Amino acid sequence: MDEFQEILQDFLVEAFELVEKLDEDLVELEATPEDLELLNGIFRVAHTIKGASSFLNFDVLTHLTHHMEDVLNKARHGELIITPDVMDVVLESIDLMKTLLNIIRDTSSDAGVDVSECVVRLDKISGGDGDVPVPQASAPIINVVEEEPEVEDENEPDYDNMSDDDVEAEIQRLLEQRQAEDKAKRAAKVAAGEEVLAPPPEPNEETSSQNAKESKPEKKPEPKAEPIKAPVPRASTNANSTSDDEDSDAKAAAPAKRSNTTVDQTIRVDVKRLDHLMNLIGELVLAKNRLIKINDDVEERYEGEEFLEELNQVVSIVSLVTTDLQIAVMKTRMLPIGKVFNKFPRMIRDLSRELNKKIELVIKGEETELDKSIVEEIGDPLVHIIRNSCDHGIETPDVRLANGKSETGTISLKAYNEGNQIVIQIDDDGKGLNAEILKSKALEKGLISEKEADNMGEKEAFMLIMKPGFSMAAAVTNVSGRGVGMDVVKTNIEKVNGIIDIESETGVGSSVKLKIPLTLAIIQALLVGVQEEAYAIPLSSVLETVRISKDEIYTVESRSVMRLRDDVLSLVHIGDIFEVERILDSSEHAYVVVLGLGAQKLGLIVDSLVGQEEIVIKSLGEYLKGIEGIAGATIRGDGGVTLIVDVVALMEIAKNVKATSMISDQKSESAQSREKTKASDYTIMIVDDSKTDRMIMRKSLEATGMSLVEASDGLEALNILKQGDYNFDAMLIDIEMPRMDGYTLATEIKKYNRYKQMPLIAVTSRTGKSDRMRGVESGMVEYITKPYSADYLSSVVQRNVNFKSEFLS
Amino acid sequence: MSDKLKQVISRQNKQQNESIDQSDDIVQLVGFIIGEEEYAVPILSIQEIIKPFTWTRVPQVPKYVMGVFNLRGAVIPLIDLRLKFGLSEKKHSDETRFIVMKDRDDVAGFVIDRLTMAIRIKKANIGPAPDTINGDNTMIDGVGKQEDRIITILKVNKLLERDF
Repeated sequence: MDEFQEILQDFLVEAFELVEKLDEDLVELEATPEDLELLNGIFRVAHTIKGASSFLNFDVLTHLTHHMEDVLNKARHGELIITPDVMDVVLESIDLMKTLLNIIRDTSSDAGVDVSECVVRLDKISGGDGDVPVPQASAPIINVVEEEPEVEDENEPDYDNMSDDDVEAEIQRLLEQRQAEDKAKRAAKVAAGEEVLAPPPEPNEETSSQNAKESKPEKKPEPKAEPIKAPVPRASTNANSTSDDEDSDAKAAAPAKRSNTTVDQTIRVDVKRLDHLMNLIGELVLAKNRLIKINDDVEERYEGEEFLEELNQVVSIVSLVTTDLQIAVMKTRMLPIGKVFNKFPRMIRDLSRELNKKIELVIKGEETELDKSIVEEIGDPLVHIIRNSCDHGIETPDVRLANGKSETGTISLKAYNEGNQIVIQIDDDGKGLNAEILKSKALEKGLISEKEADNMGEKEAFMLIMKPGFSMAAAVTNVSGRGVGMDVVKTNIEKVNGIIDIESETGVGSSVKLKIPLTLAIIQALLVGVQEEAYAIPLSSVLETVRISKDEIYTVESRSVMRLRDDVLSLVHIGDIFEVERILDSSEHAYVVVLGLGAQKLGLIVDSLVGQEEIVIKSLGEYLKGIEGIAGATIRGDGGVTLIVDVVALMEIAKNVKATSMISDQKSESAQSREKTKASDYTIMIVDDSKTDRMIMRKSLEATGMSLVEASDGLEALNILKQGDYNFDAMLIDIEMPRMDGYTLATEIKKYNRYKQMPLIAVTSRTGKSDRMRGVESGMVEYITKPYSADYLSSVVQRNVNFKSEFLS
Repeated sequence: MSDKLKQVISRQNKQQNESIDQSDDIVQLVGFIIGEEEYAVPILSIQEIIKPFTWTRVPQVPKYVMGVFNLRGAVIPLIDLRLKFGLSEKKHSDETRFIVMKDRDDVAGFVIDRLTMAIRIKKANIGPAPDTINGDNTMIDGVGKQEDRIITILKVNKLLERDF
């Protein structure tokens, strides 16, 4: 049974690959019905699937493909002209085939789809009387037995040596033979009462002949697995032909030697393994970032040392190789975008018939490669954009002629690289978008307010078509009008961090550009700081950064805005979105990161810009998933975790955030003013690097009964403050200290809202006027020079903390 | 094969079986203190125990979710069990530890006040959770009795379950 599953998997993978190509080929075939090469290719697909499915006992599928094969074979021999009507039936049967394949994939059986109607029509086309017995088990299976050698004849080396006529004759002979057998079988079955469901008898003699023909070793020596052989060489040729532009299955298949080498060149790899590899590379990138940071630190400390150069070299090699490795692994996950583009010729064909328009599709750059996960995401958006172009863009032939355009409209679909992005551009030469009509339509549907409409630029008006519920269609049709399609485009493209850009000229056509990052896992980000926290913003959404002073921020309708050149930009403070506690006092200046998403813009106010860094996106895991505004996290060079901003969500949240409290609502911290009931409620910090000095100060203050905390330098003092274990009423600070001196300490302390009001008292032997000045500048309120008397120190402290005299015993 | 050898083998098998039997009715736990109470979780659900280090705050979560931290390249949520159990906040001390627990693919770090010890306790000595706490929602797996103390055994899968 396991073996069966394995074969089934192989069959499905191959069948889906073949079918994907089929659509494209068929549409091309309609344009050039006499292209024998193409016909042969298509015929072979039907044939292969039929062969394999009958081996796997998928009778319904076999039944269907068998009749498809008949029609195609007739066409191959010129007995049948492929007219659009014939094509409709063929295409329908291919759709059925796809449905069947999907069902097989999901349920491992092909039950549940009625193919009889389609089969009857196929049979009629191929000249039959339409009288086809409904799903039969044995007839097709017997065919398989006959077919196997046929497959070989067609594609294996022998084929090469035969002249075309010979091949045709051979095929004709076998076909006739089979049809005869078919009839006999049918008759036999009717006689037998229609309930034959026996597995196919093993084609022993065929097997041996095959083995004789194919000298290359096969993995499955037992005859049972033999029929599956037919697909094997073809799978490789198919892979081959995707790289070749022309669909030359036949050509590729013919020389056996060539197909042999291609087998060695490609390996199917489980996507999971690639994902794992990508994760490991991610770790490596993080390690590299760390290494670079450490290297910088070392460089600073040991400047001029000889070993530095060597270290520098190693670090740069590691970082270079890591980058290369990352690109290499990224490439293994890349798929040509042609995979998605393939289905559009068929779609355009169907749509143009349905809409009675003449539309030509031009595809360029289908070899452009994109990450697999992104390829999967962009299929749907493209479908909707193209449908939209067909329905609303391209005019009907008579209108086009009246406007002096050619009767046939052109939609061009192209993909190309642009920097770190892939651009997919969909152009049409239809009637274009009219900003005014779009606006009035949106107004009518209540999607925008009149005021918004007035302020709306052309680009923004174009983006209206992306709004959910917006539709230009007068009536809901099969093709469009529900107002959901373009909304899907927006959601999906934003999901992959892409940007949509619409350009249009009335009467000339419109152009939609989708800009999509190459990969999802590793991105460039702008790191910003707010208070003591840092956040990463995907660089692809950052348009620019501006430094502003606070008085450039205006409040309009309880929203913050600023003037950016000729535009008005709405602002939101990152701290308001992420509930950042305002510990540090924000400075007079702030930075505005201008975020762009499609035509939407938003200014994000941050305290500081940290820099640009390549970051690896990590998920926050099951426990913390779905936090609004956070797309994930990354690990920085210093080992800390930094959250990544989800720009899409942020824009949504920003709509609901009213005026930023940037102009600051400084709540006075109640902690300090807490009622003091005893002397020990007063807490003083003594900061001095000399133990003796600390002792002297302690002795001077002990008599008052105040609580005393000591720190030996500025950094230690700052850490004690940060921990917030004590509510200090005042600090005695020495000026000259290692690590962090008194001035710096005072400046740092004043940044915290909470300690703004705390008196800082300098205790120092520096007596110069400039020293005193610096002390005042850094926020010290008193200046005690050493030596001092104990009483003096005590009285200064008491005065500054409003010490109640009744506590003095 | 000689009979002697067979004997040796059968004896070894017997011993092995016995040791399996023994481990069957003994549960190994790691005990820790939160507030005044002693709690424990199965030793096998603990990935590691580490000293506190820096973490990053995450917005829009309940207060007991302190944020996320970096555990050798993985981003892991950090949950303060004091706050989760409704106790007041407390500064981290020298004894504070992060216990990293896992249940299948779910991993999270938990802040505890102090570790006690690894505990081997007989299954027979573990009682069910008190009747007053019932329903499937309880985080308590059972109550272990050992000498003079009572240890609350927690369900790791419940601890790792998102409840907001």
